[in-house]
Amino acid sequence: MIDYSSPAVRLRQRWRQVRDRLATLLISACGIGVIVAVLAIGVFLVVAAWPLFSSPRVASEPATPGVEVAYPLEAPLPAGLEAWRRDQHLDALPYALSHAQPQALGGRLWLAEGHRLTILALDGEAPRRLARLPVVEPERRITALAALAGGRSLVVADDAGGLRRWTVEAAPPWLRLATEYRDRGPVIQALWTLPESRLFLARDAAGLSLFESLAGQRWRGEAPGGEALGFDAEGGLLWRDAGVVQRLAIDAPHAEISWRTLWLPQPYEGHAAPQQRWQSAGEGSLDEPKYGLAPLAWGTLKAAAYALLLAVPLALGAAFFSACYLPRRLRERIKPTLELMEALPGVVIGFVAGLVLAPFVERHLAGGLALIVLLPLVMLLAGGLWTRLPAAWRRCLPLGWAGLWLMPWLALWIALALWASPWLEAALFDGDLRGWLEASLGLGYDQRNALIVGLAMGFAVIPSIFALAEDALSGVPASLGEGAQALGATRWQTLWKVLLPAAGPGVFSAVMIGAGRAVGETMIVLMATGNTALMSVSPLEGMRSFAANLAIELPEAVPGGTHYRVLLFSALLLFLFTFAVNTLAELVRRRLKRRYRQLGAGR
Amino acid sequence: MRRLRLPGRAGLPRGEGPWPWLAAGSLALSLLMLAALLLLLAGRGLGHFWPAPVELVTLDDGRQLAGQPVREERRQTLQGSPLRERLYRTGNRDLDGEAWRWVEVTSIARRERPDDWAVIERQRWGELIVRPLALEEAGRRLAEAPLWAAFAARLERVLSLRAERDALRREVIAPLARRLAAGHDDAEARARLTEAQARVGELQAAMTRDALVVESAAGERLTVPLESMLAAWRPNAMSPPEKLAAWGANLWHFLSEGPRAANTAGGVWPAIFGTVLMVLLMSALVTPFGVLAAVYLHEVAPQGRLTGWVRIAVRNLAGVPSIVYGVFGLGVFVYGIGGRLDDWLFADSLPSPTFGTGGLLWASLTLALLTLPVVIVATEEGLARIPAQQREAALALGATRAEMLRRVILPMALPAMLTGVILAIARAAGEVAPLMLVGVAKLAPQVPVDGDFPYLHLERKFMHLGYHVFDVGFHSGDVEAALPLVYATALLLVGVILVLNLTAILLRHHLRARHAALRSR
Repeated sequence: MIDYSSPAVRLRQRWRQVRDRLATLLISACGIGVIVAVLAIGVFLVVAAWPLFSSPRVASEPATPGVEVAYPLEAPLPAGLEAWRRDQHLDALPYALSHAQPQALGGRLWLAEGHRLTILALDGEAPRRLARLPVVEPERRITALAALAGGRSLVVADDAGGLRRWTVEAAPPWLRLATEYRDRGPVIQALWTLPESRLFLARDAAGLSLFESLAGQRWRGEAPGGEALGFDAEGGLLWRDAGVVQRLAIDAPHAEISWRTLWLPQPYEGHAAPQQRWQSAGEGSLDEPKYGLAPLAWGTLKAAAYALLLAVPLALGAAFFSACYLPRRLRERIKPTLELMEALPGVVIGFVAGLVLAPFVERHLAGGLALIVLLPLVMLLAGGLWTRLPAAWRRCLPLGWAGLWLMPWLALWIALALWASPWLEAALFDGDLRGWLEASLGLGYDQRNALIVGLAMGFAVIPSIFALAEDALSGVPASLGEGAQALGATRWQTLWKVLLPAAGPGVFSAVMIGAGRAVGETMIVLMATGNTALMSVSPLEGMRSFAANLAIELPEAVPGGTHYRVLLFSALLLFLFTFAVNTLAELVRRRLKRRYRQLGAGR
Repeated sequence: MRRLRLPGRAGLPRGEGPWPWLAAGSLALSLLMLAALLLLLAGRGLGHFWPAPVELVTLDDGRQLAGQPVREERRQTLQGSPLRERLYRTGNRDLDGEAWRWVEVTSIARRERPDDWAVIERQRWGELIVRPLALEEAGRRLAEAPLWAAFAARLERVLSLRAERDALRREVIAPLARRLAAGHDDAEARARLTEAQARVGELQAAMTRDALVVESAAGERLTVPLESMLAAWRPNAMSPPEKLAAWGANLWHFLSEGPRAANTAGGVWPAIFGTVLMVLLMSALVTPFGVLAAVYLHEVAPQGRLTGWVRIAVRNLAGVPSIVYGVFGLGVFVYGIGGRLDDWLFADSLPSPTFGTGGLLWASLTLALLTLPVVIVATEEGLARIPAQQREAALALGATRAEMLRRVILPMALPAMLTGVILAIARAAGEVAPLMLVGVAKLAPQVPVDGDFPYLHLERKFMHLGYHVFDVGFHSGDVEAALPLVYATALLLVGVILVLNLTAILLRHHLRARHAALRSR
């Protein structure tokens, strides 16, 4: 082919080509970059939460010359106590000591005699004997014992190889069995607690094990030969073997976290029975941190469930009505209105719920509860009355516009119910509904409770469910509905028998998206509940959700710490849950769209 | 479709059973809740600025109190008998220890609205609800009639003196002091500084000249220096136009002033400024990247299975809870990038962090990430609506792909992009949860823009309307006093967001109509 273009034109052509390629490159780079950045959220959360579940690393290395023992293996007894022990001829017995750190307990000294433990209080001049208790089976003997940091847990090893943790009480029974790490095994000769942590090392003839007070054994390996000296300032264990000092570096920053400690009830210090608890300890505090995620997961699901309980019937009802009955002109007004409702910020809804609605409902509880039953009845009553109206009236109040003209009717009844609330309460519950609930159903009442959250968050998710369900229903090819109506079905029958079976998956995906939104909503839950991590089903008590917990605690958590990582792990759960739910909903929606296209094509 | 009309029951639906009524009721109830919420916000938010009348209440036992009635509640006594109580805003916190008073309605013997009672707003201790008795000038009682006119004139003088003093401090003294502190030592600046400081001293002295003698409802007399007052009005003596003017002035003060008294009084100007600035920064970040990503996804990337999956993933990220974005912002932007930046650039100010703590930049970035899916999805929808013939025609005429995109496709998709950006702004303006992690402050009197280099301080914390609602409503000592302000702030926020959304909806409507016309051609 002969090119008749002048050189200038050819140059211009080349330049255009280059520009085109550059633009494509730029768009691709930016596009991929943006998409990668957006998808990086999941990656970041996984990377940040991963160290929680990595196993501890314990390695032996040559000690730096001149390193000194900062913490001895056994807490040395104060001089007076040492002298007392000598006087009483008790110096051969294994012992454990806790200083007066926990204010409620005071200092304690435990002495092991055979299978019994003598408990001594260190509050006066001389130790005062509190009790002498058997802690292992009579045929066994205690070989080692140690008090964990904080002095509220005592670990006892016996000569059959058993290893148990007891929690310390301020009053009889003085000790309570918390964890049995094992019943039999190699006999433990010594227990060494790591400084300022809830980890301890158990040395037996075969080797060395690392235990965490809740999570149990985290590592087991060979014990270095020779003699243990103590811990250095970084928490490494120093050994002397044939004159050379070795250091056993123990790297287990998140040893207390395992699937079991996160999700199952744990025998925490200070509680009689295993508990599901979320209670993070402050930095440097000796209190046992309680990282049970179950109460938070419960709170999240409870809030979402109560929200959906309100939102699903209302939103689907509205969507059904909009798809089947609303005149087209009105529908074009109503849809954007509800879209506006979706845009209302959570903080405003939460504020109204927490500061206005909650006190209001507290004062009008009887009326509020009555409304739950009353409102559907009143809607049906309106229908009944309407069919008895003269035809001229009915033409003024067409069924298609019922969504609007029912508003004053419902408002009237709501006002009536709230106005009658005190009388209702006086007549049915002796004027004290909350007392009655407490006495007969055992329900406590929090001002900011699940009912309020359900109402507020339900309000927030109604528009999303409505919009998607309405889209699914009105997307059904018109020929189907028209066919059914032509065969004599009423509009409700058409909806129920034709439209819903066709659009069912779409309606389902709408509900799922609503659930995803309810699970992740932060401000409403934060403001409309008391944020106590309870596990109760009661609609009249509060809860704490993952999202609210993140908003409250993450700013204070130390980056890289266990608390921080557990919080990030909970964010990961939230992310995965909503992402999975949304993906599922989206896939369902796509398949539905394809189906509609096929159905529509058959016309 | 023409509906068949039956002769006897023209246009009426056949018997549909009870279900449609439940469905209609659901719709009505949803709309009712929305209307109730908006009405509540509008009523309480705007009503707060209306000068409420002062009632002088005489109780059965002869005691008197003066206050503005706020609301009534029905409660129950411990014995179970119903009780109607009315809340009065009585002010005078320094005298009574309490600015609110619940009064049992049945115990009220008489209610009056005397004209001469005044509400005086002070710099500290909140409002004073009192009866003015006389004016004092430098400790000497004046006998000026009419008292209120004289007082108003003198208050006006104090206010103008204060305005002059504040302007002097802000515009002369502060810059000079900064220049001197920075080491530019010159005699002229020093002289000007001394002169200005002397003038401030004079103004200060002039302001303390006058005082007002007032009497409270309990009969206490006190002398209030005019210097401590911000405004004063006699609601009972005001005519409706005057009240309307006062309402407008109050509203303006709310919008244009900073908060006072631990955020429970004053205005929300810094919060408005912070919100707007953050949203502007965010849209500057999100618009180009969101549009480019959408163009890539729709026009450049091979339309295979992978792209389909990416599209679904991006769409779903719009449904990921906002707090998760906040966590990401905190972990990556603040602790990750910010901490690194501090190590490299601001090592001399460590350990107090510069970029290693929440700030304007990180908040905007986090929200940009949060709203990216919104912009991508909206732009992609816009691109998908453009008929393929447009692209084919452009390419057939010899345009390269870049030219086709720039000259044909992007201009056509512009309204869609705008819709996306507006929706993104509306979403970002209402999000609070991620901001709590990445940089919002309960009180930041320094706005992030000022006359100091580099003028825009990206590392500063900022105030935000939404967080203001949360903080004032839930963390202030006197919730009753803060509540009207929270209502007003919430109304402002909702108003802004609704207007933005309405714009987006209208734009989209217009867009659909245009494309429908294009397709039918």
